[in-house]
Amino acid sequence: MPPESTPPATFRIGKARTRFFGLTLDETIKAFFGGNALMAVVVLALITFFLFREGFDFFTQNQHSIRVYREAGLEFVDYIRQQEQDHTALTRYLSDVRLRTLQHFTGHEGLTLAEANSRLEGFDAFAGRYGEAVDPLRGLVSELTEVATEIKTKYQIIEDMKEKRRQLLAEGKTAEADAVIVARVDFKTELGPLIATLPAYKETSDQFATTLRETLALAPALPTPELQKRMERFRELNSDYLVGFPVVLRQLEEWDYTKPVPAWHAFTGFIFGRQWLTASFWQDWYGVVPLFVGSLMVSAIALMLAVPLGVGAAIYISQIASAREQRLVKPAIEFISAIPSVVLGFFGIAVLGQILRTLSQFDSLRWVPGFPFAERLNALTAGCLLALIAVPTIFTLAEDAINNVPRSFLEASLALGASRLQTILRIIIPASLSGIVSAVLLGLGRVIGETMVVLLCAGNRIEIPDFTQGLVAVVQPVHTMTGIIAQEMGEVVRGSIHYRALFMVGILLFLIALLLNFLAQKIVRKYRISIG
Amino acid sequence: MVTATTQRSMATSTLFAIKVPPSQDLGTNRTLIEIENLDFSYGPKQALYDINLKLEEKRVTAFIGPSGCGKTTLLRCLNRMNDLIDGTVIGRGSIRINGVDIHGRGVDSIELRKRVGMVFQKSNPFPKSIYENVIYGLRIQGENDKTRLDAIVEKSLRGAALWDEVKDRLHESGLGLSGGQQQRLCIARAIAVEPEVILMDEPCSALDPVATAKIEELIQELRSHFTIVIVTHNMQQAARCSDRTAFFYLGKLIEYADTRTIFMKPANSQTEAYVSGRFG
Repeated sequence: MPPESTPPATFRIGKARTRFFGLTLDETIKAFFGGNALMAVVVLALITFFLFREGFDFFTQNQHSIRVYREAGLEFVDYIRQQEQDHTALTRYLSDVRLRTLQHFTGHEGLTLAEANSRLEGFDAFAGRYGEAVDPLRGLVSELTEVATEIKTKYQIIEDMKEKRRQLLAEGKTAEADAVIVARVDFKTELGPLIATLPAYKETSDQFATTLRETLALAPALPTPELQKRMERFRELNSDYLVGFPVVLRQLEEWDYTKPVPAWHAFTGFIFGRQWLTASFWQDWYGVVPLFVGSLMVSAIALMLAVPLGVGAAIYISQIASAREQRLVKPAIEFISAIPSVVLGFFGIAVLGQILRTLSQFDSLRWVPGFPFAERLNALTAGCLLALIAVPTIFTLAEDAINNVPRSFLEASLALGASRLQTILRIIIPASLSGIVSAVLLGLGRVIGETMVVLLCAGNRIEIPDFTQGLVAVVQPVHTMTGIIAQEMGEVVRGSIHYRALFMVGILLFLIALLLNFLAQKIVRKYRISIG
Repeated sequence: MVTATTQRSMATSTLFAIKVPPSQDLGTNRTLIEIENLDFSYGPKQALYDINLKLEEKRVTAFIGPSGCGKTTLLRCLNRMNDLIDGTVIGRGSIRINGVDIHGRGVDSIELRKRVGMVFQKSNPFPKSIYENVIYGLRIQGENDKTRLDAIVEKSLRGAALWDEVKDRLHESGLGLSGGQQQRLCIARAIAVEPEVILMDEPCSALDPVATAKIEELIQELRSHFTIVIVTHNMQQAARCSDRTAFFYLGKLIEYADTRTIFMKPANSQTEAYVSGRFG
């Protein structure tokens, strides 16, 4: 029988731990850090939740707004107004032709301004007649506008009453609530006079068409073939315009205020709407297109400048620069990101905007499209500054990506007799391309979300830039999605449709940022493995 | 005394089973690379002292020695790869290839590297297809003739004994090959530009014995076309596949002779101690 081995008397490996609320120190620390990490997730979830909760009501409100637009007859009047405005656009074309002719007279033929103007007398008579032709129609529109506005006001008063009553009821003041009389708008009766103008419209419109045709026949001959061609074009535009008259009439005849507004109109009206018009006496429109295009244009300009700068600097610093240059340039670029964007915006207004404008006024630079600038603050100014903001992001991430390319690739390439440049172009850049692309995407995310600079420098005109003139579009003032939120959020009534519309813009921005980040991560993950 | 050393050396050689190639009269080929009184330093730290060495054409020369003895440094001097490191200085002396001083005026390191190829310790194919890997050196020289490139790819891969294994997947990534195949791909890439000299920096240190054997066989075949300089830690390898061996210690060339002589009858006691495995 083997001797029983007895365990050593003292083999103490336990230790009494101090506990707070039943937790040891280690557990407390763990809980603290875990809690912090969890907090980030919770905050993100809350932000998302509230953003969507505040924003989504926009669609019901917008649908309602569009319905009132129809029921109060505003839509009816707008058909005719469009016809009038198209004529105004044609008048503008005509004044452009006059200006060119005047320039021809004063420039090529060397006439004085007075002489040139007198030579244009025939033209002016024609233009005057053309312009006046619309007057009866304009009168009709302004009459109808009054009628429709009245209906809408009536409706709004009733809505206010309803709201008041609801509030009183909520406060429990039943008697007072009953005292508030809520009438109903009888749209049918109210719209009666509006629709009754249809024969009058028809007559006015026919008369208008006849006058236009007669006037056009009297179009004066212009001195050069080029100007004559413009006149021909004017005639063509007019015949197209006249063809549209019966269409307007049909729209008016078929117009029915009871026609329901489908729910998707509220959505398409936002996503594809080309007008962002608020606090208007007539009708508010919340179309995000001008803002989206503005944001996109400013970002595109910024990226066009920031990508070559950022990626080029990253390649130089990681592949070519000496250690001393690296020590100098890297912190300098990274420091740019430390400048508060409001300071950059201020710099943009005071310095860059002025410099660009002065530059654009040099006669020797006339050939550059868009020079001289019509506006000091425009998409180009904002884009240049945003490029400054994007450069550090793109530079830092691209440099990381390039540094991640194994040094052995570089050595192998050089050992085969490749030059530095060949190595960079054929080996280093392809191997780090995924990283560079994601750096650019994150730079884009940074730029699209930037607010202060665009608010200060983009010019803030809510209008889709006129792309028909090509590159000139980049020097037009624009407004952006971020800018509009910052500018208007402080003034809107909480819960109003305008407030909700701004939240929708916020959601759109949020989704864009989400998409860009997702893409950037996906690209990096997909290609990093292949480099090994 | 000398006799005693020799006898002991032979005894240890047998003990460690270093097989030395059968005695053959190598004769002397034309000298291709001539290193004279070379001093080299990394900044303040001197790495090579007064190296004098003549490497013959179409021979395999092995550089052996313990870690940090300067053998890789010397190898990288031969194609001026050390230029990439900041602060390197050739203190004194010269390296002449075919009579031309490679640090001389008018010598372009890029042109030099086209003539002096290199295979690295760790295989480093580019993240490109096998085909593109092989023709990389030609592409950068502007060669774009498809038929010529095809011919060179086949010739180089055959030369690197890899053709049969990869001929059906030339357009797949070079990174998908095994370690030994990748190293042979790197050799194919190096010989595709038809250099005169191939420098090999411990080409088998990351490979298993089978892959190592293949590379060694390949070196034997390549010797008829190229002048090969190989740095190795593996003394069996030096003994098996080199014609001449240079032993370095602490930045100095201790002994340079026929491989057989180095392993069987080293003249220097440090060499003898190293090849017999007593240090290093």
